[in-house]
Amino acid sequence: MRMTDAPRKWVLVSGVSRGLGLALARDLLAQGYGVAGCSTTFSDDLQALKDVHGDWFFWQGVDMADTSAIEAFVLAAVKAFNGHRMWGVVNNAGMSVEGILSTLPVSDIEKVLQVNLTGAICLARSALRQMMKTRKPGRIINISSITGLRGYTGLTAYAASKAGMDGFSRALSREVGRVGITVNSVAPGYMKTQLSEGLDDRQLDQIVRRTPLGRLCELADIVHLVRFLLSEEAGFITGQTLVVDGGLTS
Amino acid sequence: MTTTLDLIREELTQILTDKGAATGEITADTLLLNGPLDIDSLDLATLVVILEEKTGLSPFADGFVLFHTVGELAALFGDAHD
Repeated sequence: MRMTDAPRKWVLVSGVSRGLGLALARDLLAQGYGVAGCSTTFSDDLQALKDVHGDWFFWQGVDMADTSAIEAFVLAAVKAFNGHRMWGVVNNAGMSVEGILSTLPVSDIEKVLQVNLTGAICLARSALRQMMKTRKPGRIINISSITGLRGYTGLTAYAASKAGMDGFSRALSREVGRVGITVNSVAPGYMKTQLSEGLDDRQLDQIVRRTPLGRLCELADIVHLVRFLLSEEAGFITGQTLVVDGGLTS
Repeated sequence: MTTTLDLIREELTQILTDKGAATGEITADTLLLNGPLDIDSLDLATLVVILEEKTGLSPFADGFVLFHTVGELAALFGDAHD
């Protein structure tokens, strides 16, 4: 970007190659934020964002299981957005493994916890090391899941990782609240993409029937909440897990 | 050559000024927490992050090392740096 560009806030978003991460990156760029995104793979959709937004969209390939790559990504983003203010982090990257626990490979359990939980904590840590220096307000948003609150057969490790994120949000909110940095979890209900890939039509129908608002969660439902949580107006909300599930878990 | 003690003094003063707290004399014997300085654990963490960046050293990379005074913290980062 040019040094003459007006200062913008910029946000780190993990897992931007598809699904919710891509929708978040697209929306935040449209809202006027700079976005530093990471994912394991680059995609045509990301190239399209680069084509439209140029340097306001920074991307780097990162495996969230690789903590040194996470730190390197944050430092590279700080350099790319030099002179602009890091405003926050959206910890969106996640993976899921399905299976009854007694037969779930230990390596799968470790990978899910590493990517979903350790990776998210380390991304927040690296970002906070930068944010603390300015002693200015900021936002950390962790995308968890209603499975972390209610559980779901076959998703034990995933649910544990997401419940862990919620606990992480609560603890970190106490740690950094004094400088005006808010930390919250957003727990989406079942979406047509991502997690629910492992659910069959019968299970999805059952979820819809049990949801007071009568549908699955849409990407836009989450994007709008994240947009609000990133805003100045949400500055007094911290340490919460905000559930967006159409009332399914009410 | 700036000593690590000078660097800590400079950064602590900046942190205290930023938060609108009073600044006073800072010596090697000054207690970091629960002493004369109006700083808390978050301020101390901020100081450590800045010191790590400016010295390129990470004395806590393998685990926390206990320190109480400015001098003890300075010793962890070595006596001097360029």
